[in-house]
Amino acid sequence: MRRFITGMTVLALVGAGAGCGSSEDTGAAPAGGVDQVKVGVIPIVDVAPIYLGQKQGFFGNRKIELTMESGQGGAAIVPGVVSGQFQFGFSNITSLLLAQTKNVPVKMVSNGVASTGEAGKDFGGVVVRKDSPITKAADLAGKKIAVNTLKNIGDTTVRESVRKAGGDPSTISFVEMPFPNMPAAVEAGQVDAAWVVEPSLSAVTAAGGRVVAWNYVDAAPNLTVAAYFASTKLIADKPDLVKRFTEAMNESLAYASAHPEEVREILGSYTKIDPKVRASLTLPKWPVEINKPSVETLSKLGAQDGIFGGATPDLDKILP
Amino acid sequence: MTAAGAGVARVRPAGRALLGLSGLAGLLVLVELLPRAGIVSDRSLPPTSRILAALADEAATAAFWVAVGDTLTAWAIGLAVAVAAGVAVGVLIGAVPVLRAVTASTVEFLRPIPSVALIPLAVLLYGSDLGSTLLLVVYAAFWQVLVQVLYGVADVDPVAEETARSFRFTAAARIRYVLWPTALPYVFTGVRLAASVALVLAVTAELVIGAPGLGAVIAVAQTSGAIPTMYALIVVTGLIGVAINLAARRAERHFLAWHQSVRGEVAA
Repeated sequence: MRRFITGMTVLALVGAGAGCGSSEDTGAAPAGGVDQVKVGVIPIVDVAPIYLGQKQGFFGNRKIELTMESGQGGAAIVPGVVSGQFQFGFSNITSLLLAQTKNVPVKMVSNGVASTGEAGKDFGGVVVRKDSPITKAADLAGKKIAVNTLKNIGDTTVRESVRKAGGDPSTISFVEMPFPNMPAAVEAGQVDAAWVVEPSLSAVTAAGGRVVAWNYVDAAPNLTVAAYFASTKLIADKPDLVKRFTEAMNESLAYASAHPEEVREILGSYTKIDPKVRASLTLPKWPVEINKPSVETLSKLGAQDGIFGGATPDLDKILP
Repeated sequence: MTAAGAGVARVRPAGRALLGLSGLAGLLVLVELLPRAGIVSDRSLPPTSRILAALADEAATAAFWVAVGDTLTAWAIGLAVAVAAGVAVGVLIGAVPVLRAVTASTVEFLRPIPSVALIPLAVLLYGSDLGSTLLLVVYAAFWQVLVQVLYGVADVDPVAEETARSFRFTAAARIRYVLWPTALPYVFTGVRLAASVALVLAVTAELVIGAPGLGAVIAVAQTSGAIPTMYALIVVTGLIGVAINLAARRAERHFLAWHQSVRGEVAA
């Protein structure tokens, strides 16, 4: 309650509120030798391994008691990790590179999720309506395409798909829209195409939509899409906790890769994906290792599209 | 407000409830028919029957009731803090003319700031916990109460005030016997407005930040493409809103039974 009053006081004074979170405790004080760890995640298919690992006891074994904090779109994750509200977070690579160019003190600690690397069988792609004249990636040039976040992994990889297919990526106009709204927007013709991931991808194809580009596959072979990360402060202060988390995460990723049926089952515990869709959707890959060349590619693509504002991400500072 | 109160009172309560329900039934039928007639895609707006089926499924889970409890807790704590702070600050500012002059422009500056604009600050201070929701709820609800209290305090009859002074009422007694009865109807209007706003902001905070509650479950349903479930949960927030409004009106009638706005106008 005192912190709450502090918060209101800050507001009342219209102080420069942004500086107030830096003195937060890390919240990971060991209780009976067990570290209470909060992880900021997005409730999507990508984070199934951490839930599965929690259920299998991979974290409990290492004296880590996990609490998942999930928010839509993950707007809260990076600031949450930096301020110490969360010990770890899940974010896509481009967002982390972007954070690095702005000197946000975060660093990857384990792999998150990767593309399957197979065109026709990936968990994300650019979709169009059944009767759309667009049939291939090159046709996307000059069209209006929905992505979940502008200047991020979606538009840079979609541009690369079009570029590789011989189209002019600079003529595409991207619009921002949450993934769940995309199937309806494509259907209604509000956008010519949309970059969607599962389960929205299944929703579009079930309605007769077609995938015209597999942007993750086109961007780089076996592209690493997202990673778990921590603040550099936590990595410096509690190296042992970070090491145990990374080990548990790696074990979880390997377990999820080996047990796709258990992954589909665990999805029922933290998402509300329809059981039929759950059984049929395309699962991503969960390799233990971050594919560094693919991170370099994302960095190059981002720099090429100017999303880092002229800066170049320092990969040594962001990679584990 | 007085006129509306008197007008509504003429329709018998049973008749009024019936009219309200028939309006709701019409909406339910419309939502059932629109997708079935193909006017909107049933993937975007499922018919009522499917939404209700999803609602029944949800209501059978413990997680749903925990979420309802979380949302109501955030709403209640937030509203209580906002009302207490709004009344205290309002009476203080209202009773001291200098303070009123000093704060007037500041209040007008802070009041229109949308609570959701404070989300980054809330996340920085409290992460995705109850605190974040409370910050947003209190910020939004506080101004509703404060402004009403200020109007209420300004409405004090100068003759009554002067009379109390002549009788050497202490400041506390003047607040208790002159200011408070005048301001109370305004306070209740403020509370009623704040109660609705608090619910909207509680759900919004949960939806965007992911703080535990109904909003967070709506976000999960949305990202999962579980459209009927999403609408079912939205219906629940609507129902809670109706319940809150009914309760606030009831409380208003109960506590202001003596006041002419509730009694009805007495012919002058």
